[in-house]
Amino acid sequence: MSTQLLLFQVLNGVGIGMIYFLLSVGLTLIFGLMRFVNFAHGAFYLAAAYITYAVVLWTGSFWWALLLGPVLVAVLALIIERLLLRHTYALPHEAQILITFAVALLIQEVVILLFTPLGHNVPVPAALSGIVFLGPYVYPAYRLAVVGVAAVVAIVLWIAIERTKMGSILRAGSESAEMVGLLGINVDRVFMATFALGAALAGLAGVLVAPLRGVEPFMSAEALGIAFVVVVVGGLGTLSGALVGGILIGLVQSIMSTLWPEGAQLMIYAAMALVIMIRPTGLMGRI
Amino acid sequence: MRTVERFPNLATAIVLAALVVLPLTVPATLASQIAIFATGALSVALLLGAVGLLSFGQGLYLGVGAYVCGILLRDAGLGLIPALLMAALSGTVLAGLLGSVIVRRHGVYFVMLTLAFAQMGYFAVLAFKNVTGGENGLSGLPRQFDLLGFSIADPLSMYGFMAGAFFLVFLLIQRVIASPFGSVLAAIRENEPRCEALGYPVARYKTAAVALAGGIAGLAGGLHVIFLGFVPPSDIELEMSQRLLVIALIGGIGSPGGALMGSAFYTIVSEALSEIWPRWMALIALLLIGLVLFLPGGLWGARRRISALFARNTAHD
Amino acid sequence: MMDRRRVLTGMAAAPLALAAPGIIRRANAESVLDVAAVYSLSGTFANVGSGLNDGSKWAFEQYGSAAGHKLNYVLLDDRGDAGEAVRKVQEAMTQRGIKHVIGCTNSAIALAVQKEVYARKGIYVNQAGADEVTGKDCNKSGFRWPVACYSAVNATVRPLIDKFPKAKRWYTITGQYVFGDSLLSNCKDVFKEKGIEHVGNSYHSLSDREYSGYIATALSQNPDVLAICNFGNQTVDVVRQAISYGMKRNTKILAVWSTGLDQFQALGPENCEDVYFGANFWHGVDSPGGRRVAEIVKQKTGDVPNYLQACGYAVSQILIEGLNKANSTDVPTIVKALEGISYEGPTGTESIRPEDHQVVKDYYLMLGKAKSAMKDKNDLCSVVAATKALPPPEKTGCQMAASL
Repeated sequence: MSTQLLLFQVLNGVGIGMIYFLLSVGLTLIFGLMRFVNFAHGAFYLAAAYITYAVVLWTGSFWWALLLGPVLVAVLALIIERLLLRHTYALPHEAQILITFAVALLIQEVVILLFTPLGHNVPVPAALSGIVFLGPYVYPAYRLAVVGVAAVVAIVLWIAIERTKMGSILRAGSESAEMVGLLGINVDRVFMATFALGAALAGLAGVLVAPLRGVEPFMSAEALGIAFVVVVVGGLGTLSGALVGGILIGLVQSIMSTLWPEGAQLMIYAAMALVIMIRPTGLMGRI
Repeated sequence: MRTVERFPNLATAIVLAALVVLPLTVPATLASQIAIFATGALSVALLLGAVGLLSFGQGLYLGVGAYVCGILLRDAGLGLIPALLMAALSGTVLAGLLGSVIVRRHGVYFVMLTLAFAQMGYFAVLAFKNVTGGENGLSGLPRQFDLLGFSIADPLSMYGFMAGAFFLVFLLIQRVIASPFGSVLAAIRENEPRCEALGYPVARYKTAAVALAGGIAGLAGGLHVIFLGFVPPSDIELEMSQRLLVIALIGGIGSPGGALMGSAFYTIVSEALSEIWPRWMALIALLLIGLVLFLPGGLWGARRRISALFARNTAHD
Repeated sequence: MMDRRRVLTGMAAAPLALAAPGIIRRANAESVLDVAAVYSLSGTFANVGSGLNDGSKWAFEQYGSAAGHKLNYVLLDDRGDAGEAVRKVQEAMTQRGIKHVIGCTNSAIALAVQKEVYARKGIYVNQAGADEVTGKDCNKSGFRWPVACYSAVNATVRPLIDKFPKAKRWYTITGQYVFGDSLLSNCKDVFKEKGIEHVGNSYHSLSDREYSGYIATALSQNPDVLAICNFGNQTVDVVRQAISYGMKRNTKILAVWSTGLDQFQALGPENCEDVYFGANFWHGVDSPGGRRVAEIVKQKTGDVPNYLQACGYAVSQILIEGLNKANSTDVPTIVKALEGISYEGPTGTESIRPEDHQVVKDYYLMLGKAKSAMKDKNDLCSVVAATKALPPPEKTGCQMAASL
């Protein structure tokens, strides 16, 4: 493989990695505070992608979808949290996993009911439909914009978690939710807000990915699998873990697709196995 | 806390009766499928019920068992029983290997790793398609078997074999749970740090349980292949892992008897609903939500609750 | 089951037997033939299965009866699971006495069901993509309507090479699965014969959704033509992503295998424009058989037929043509009747080769139109070439027993 090609694949891998970061960061955020893995995370991503499809179909504007996708998914998440999840906090964590898994199934089936099992295309917004020349390389403008958005999200989240009151509650909550509760903070509300935020982030990933890959009802399972790999590699519960894990997995996938294409997918999981054998807590993990 | 089943023999009798009644109430091929998936679900129920380990990845071992059994039957000319034993062995070995890595992680990490490794198995099948047949699966397996002079070919004799295999595994698991090994597993489930403090090699116990469950899943894969005469690639897909889990949960993980109940329920309901409404999975999802919230013991637990109620009533009389 | 029903009809008619022998005759003539159709209405392949099922079912409604039997469509939903398909076929054949089976949603299902039906001496007409169905895994029971890998490549790559003799550098992106590999190896044969430089190939897996890595590799080779060798949603995704990387500017894109209209719609006119596609069916091709498909689909959906509906229709039609020609429901008689038959199918006059039970039919090379050139919303592509390209029977690897 020539250096030029390698460089291109690195660039590309970082691009894929930023999408994977967006996909996983909500998962890791929810886990950090609430100590459970949201198996419906991929389904929120799916729901947002279909909201994008519907909104673009009705209004012709992707920008409305960019706003509505995360918001509506956050509302959906709130309803689910109030209606179902809240009753499982006292149960063993298996109960939360199973109930979110069931919710994911339900969302997928509802999507099929509403939109048929056929996949649909979502056009790239006209303003970003061109390509950009990065030195000798061609890169789609839209994909570059997605990388930009992901980077902004990473920075905003970092500031929000490290520098704001809400962030300090989150950080304290991830150490001991009980303690935070004793300090007079309404943990219930914090849980609610975090769950909605995590879902909204999955929603954002879904909106942004829709023009790249179109929408189909089974895209949630793959997304969930990738998000798991990313957080296992990066370390569950940390923002930096999602970023490092996302980019690492993006790079592995991109470079392996040149070196050993048959095994590109396999190598993602091999990379994961390697990381947990060397560093069971993940690259950035604390727990 | 689960209460210990007071009359394991009663459970055994119920399971045995159900196995006999099954082919009389549903078509024999459906009954076979129920027995096979019940065997697979036993591996989930063993892990979750006896050790408290939630696995989203038992489909991996079922799939590996299926492929090993299929390849050995077709290319190595192995007989029915040796091929099945190899299927179980392959599930045990793989689960033991992966298990030794996975059990070091607790809680959600463990769950996520089981799912991730299950995905890996599927990609491996696709990557090595010269051996596995890739997305086409492996076809052309023998359709007729002899067991001690009995011919296994028609749906009913096939069911007899599948039911027998399930029943053996069921007895095995009951024995394991009642054994000292099972007691240690139960102790780990209830309080792992204390077990560790008492000097039990917890990781080794858990690995052994994962390996045993892997072997059972592998056997179920082998049974599936023998029943179909074909290795469907869906055996190693993530969906299979989820199906086994759903079956085990519906049945209730408290007793191995639940696996048969869950499998019968899931298979018959999905069969009946899929003809009426293709989106039957939505109902399964709603059912799961209901189970988690209202009936953590699953159907088997419900049976016990009802019989407990009944016992109380009679006591009042 | 069928036998029991016959007995029951006979018993019900018995009191009338002396008075009205005519009624009995009609009762016999109206006896019902159960035909099992194996499709996935839920699961991952539900999008394919439901379209196919519609086509097959509508054909049954249109024909109504065959060989003097009322046709009864028995749907076996395999939920996208080949194992489930085999089990349901087993059950239908052993417990309901069904001998006539049609349909499959993917190749794994077809390969497995064809073996099962053969073992139980039935007939099975399917629309598998895998060439093995009429190749090394062929048998006396199985018939296949679509033409696949060999035809798809020879009916698209060859005309394109002839059209653009200067486009010497070809790059391929291939699904790393049996079907994709089969397309690729056929491509390589044509490249070799035509002196084309195959500048590289990228494999992707069945579950890939992200192809930018593969497309980047392709771009780095500066190919004249990018040939895409895969199926399903993946074809649509690769085309879409290749276009988003600006590949249309100086590379021609050919999707060797597509399902036609529904995929063109999924891509949209802006993506379809100037892209080449291979397809087994196109509603714009006028023929008596095609008109009959169009009529029933119009009646059901108000729209033109797509590939899936046509494909579903075609397998029903073949079985019905066979039943009618044989004028019997006896399987060996139908098989014999179908071998060498010629009929008006959805793509024009089609025939069945006795050597491998493959339907001989056109495969189309299509070119996406500009949005401004479209006459209506379905007029997304035009037919550039229609070719009946089949490997000679002795090259298919099919070894068939002389009788069932």
